[in-house]
Amino acid sequence: SSVEQKIYVVLNETVPCVRLLNATHQIGCQSSISGDTGVLHVLETESDLDWILSSGPHPPYMVIMETAFFNRSVMMRMKNSSRVAGVAVIISKTGLADNFSPHTTCPNQNTGVYSESYGSDLANCNGTVWNPLGNGLSYEDFSFPVFALKDENQTQVLRKCYEDHNQRVNGSAPQYPLCAMQLFSHMHAVTDTVTCMRRTDLQNRFSINPEVLCDPLSDFNVWTSTRPLNNSAKGHAADESVVIAATRLDGRSFFWEQAPAAEGTVSGIVTLLATIQALYPVTQEAPPPRNIFFSFFQGEAFDYIGSSKMVYDMEKNDFVIDMNNVHSMLEIGQVGLLSGRSLWMHSDPVSRQNKSVDTEVSEMMSRIQSAAAGLKLTVDHPSVSQPLPPSSFQRFLRARRIPGLVLADHNTSFTNRYYESMYDDAENLNVTYPPGLTPDEQLVYETDAAKSLAEVATLVARSLYLQAGGEENNLNNITADPKIVAQLLYGFLVQKNNSWFRSLLPPEVTKKGVNSPGPPQFYIGLGPRVHGPAHSVTRFVQYILANLTGTVTNLTESQCQNPSELSTENKDLFSYFWVSGPASVNGTREPFCVRASVRLSKAVSPAFELLEYGSRNYSTWTESRWKSIRARIFLVASRELEMLTLGVGVAVLLLSLLVTYFISSKAELLFSSARETPTTTY
Amino acid sequence: MNLERIPNEEKLSLCRRYYLGGFAFLPFLWLVNVLWFFREAFLKPTYTEQLQIKSYVKKSALGLIVWVAVLTTWITIFQHFRAQWGEVGDYLSFTIPLGTA
Repeated sequence: SSVEQKIYVVLNETVPCVRLLNATHQIGCQSSISGDTGVLHVLETESDLDWILSSGPHPPYMVIMETAFFNRSVMMRMKNSSRVAGVAVIISKTGLADNFSPHTTCPNQNTGVYSESYGSDLANCNGTVWNPLGNGLSYEDFSFPVFALKDENQTQVLRKCYEDHNQRVNGSAPQYPLCAMQLFSHMHAVTDTVTCMRRTDLQNRFSINPEVLCDPLSDFNVWTSTRPLNNSAKGHAADESVVIAATRLDGRSFFWEQAPAAEGTVSGIVTLLATIQALYPVTQEAPPPRNIFFSFFQGEAFDYIGSSKMVYDMEKNDFVIDMNNVHSMLEIGQVGLLSGRSLWMHSDPVSRQNKSVDTEVSEMMSRIQSAAAGLKLTVDHPSVSQPLPPSSFQRFLRARRIPGLVLADHNTSFTNRYYESMYDDAENLNVTYPPGLTPDEQLVYETDAAKSLAEVATLVARSLYLQAGGEENNLNNITADPKIVAQLLYGFLVQKNNSWFRSLLPPEVTKKGVNSPGPPQFYIGLGPRVHGPAHSVTRFVQYILANLTGTVTNLTESQCQNPSELSTENKDLFSYFWVSGPASVNGTREPFCVRASVRLSKAVSPAFELLEYGSRNYSTWTESRWKSIRARIFLVASRELEMLTLGVGVAVLLLSLLVTYFISSKAELLFSSARETPTTTY
Repeated sequence: MNLERIPNEEKLSLCRRYYLGGFAFLPFLWLVNVLWFFREAFLKPTYTEQLQIKSYVKKSALGLIVWVAVLTTWITIFQHFRAQWGEVGDYLSFTIPLGTA
């Protein structure tokens, strides 16, 4: 409707903060059901803050917050004030502080291995504070909407509106009409997961029109192994002793679906993928005695969703291997910010009090040291009494005291100054490209970060080979390819829609285009019901693994979908993927079928299977549902003018009623015609 | 229905039926009874059945006031405390508002 377009300017790309709930709390932001409206004010200086919070005459205000002011003290003051209708944060690098981490100081402190009964003096980060720069903003509950402004053009529109109407002239307050913004992000779920799931169940049973209020965070883990495992045989796998190599697949930030997670997550993913690429050929030619099981866990930012589910399945004999099959575990933590320093091997002091576990861990460390001998890396171990950093290995330790290590680039606290924030991007990992390169040239350009991660991957691959019992003289054949690392870094940090990814993915995804430009986001999301078969990052990792470890077959498309019909193919040991293939010169692609032992396993917290929504042991994170999230700006008039208009309207109504009554009662008098009454003759 | 045109005995039986019907948890019948027969009971000149009609109207009014008091009390308590009652509050509710406790 054109009147609406004359009044409102709708903001297209909105990046909201949504509500998440766990067993006991709600976090995130909430708006009123019909949006929150406030007069725009740009927060650039301290005096602006005073204006908004106390002296401005037109509350409530909608704050446009410059990057430098997005910190805990300012946001807490906004939270406690009744004059703030909402906040729109400008996301940019100008004015960004030296560090910003909205996560807590002690990530996943209640669902790790350290508790009252296990290493009680190390629990709750008593030993080491892992994220000291964390301000905990992501875990606060705001009763007003908070949006992010990532698009520079959109921010310009807002600034122009502000400068035209809301600017203070010579220190005096601006006059109506003023520019205002309305933010809609009404969340349906409240209180906590227990309440929300209870209300959803009640709705489903008794209501005519059931509404789901919240959804558990869920997606898939990706796993593969050097020797294929029979996927239909669950429980203990006979004669299998397995070394697990793991990393995490997800990240988060304050805002919904925004998580570039470069140092926090991508460094681990890229290293493990390069490790697999380096290790796979040698394990096929000269297989080591033990199997090596690679696993990418989804949802680790939210109380270890993926790893707790895998451990739960292993304990229930519902997975291809169980805890008895596990020999040891090596996890890759944050390894991107090495910059010439050494890599650190973190171990668990409590389990090492047991002599046999201690010897195993020491042997593992010495194997890694010997693997590092020929490389430019140095490896060291932190002090023996230091606990493990937050890692998936902690969930395995909760089930059984297996020997294991976590590799990281930090000795005590994280070197990542932007942990789980929107600023943990390519620049944070020093992945920058010289100007003037085309996208395809950038794809293969080997940055220093790529070379460093390739070194780490070579180290991990050689260590795993030794840990699996392989021969030392094969080690020199195990080298990670920096070109693959460079391509992975480009795809995961800069542009997911590149020629290499397009060639690995199935044709329907390639034809549709890999949706939005830019890097992929690593937030776990809600899984298959909402996002399609698998989240895009999970799918990328799955197909990259298929490309790196799989073999090309000459099956047709229908055979690829149903390989069990062929006697030469084994659906229990392998998965079959129909991929696009590289683009030829004239742009056509010839798809083919790849056979690989790559699988997905469901990553949803066991609390939702056991229906223990208030569980203290497992993750209980859910994401609220909502109807619409949008933003618009328009001009508002003063309250007095609005009331005056209403008053005049009501007065006109009453007056008209009065006049109508008056006229109606005196109708004969007023409307007697001037014509003569006709003389009637009877 | 225009009460002017009905004989008095029918008015009495109508009033009685509405009065008795209100006991089946139907306070609106009592409300209708009071409003409809008020003029008949108190403002018309006396006739034989008027005494009984007057008593029915008074008793209906009494019942109505009791119902209004009970419902108002319960609704106030429920609206105020439903959020705090947690599980019990949810089981007692027919529709639960979205997004607020």
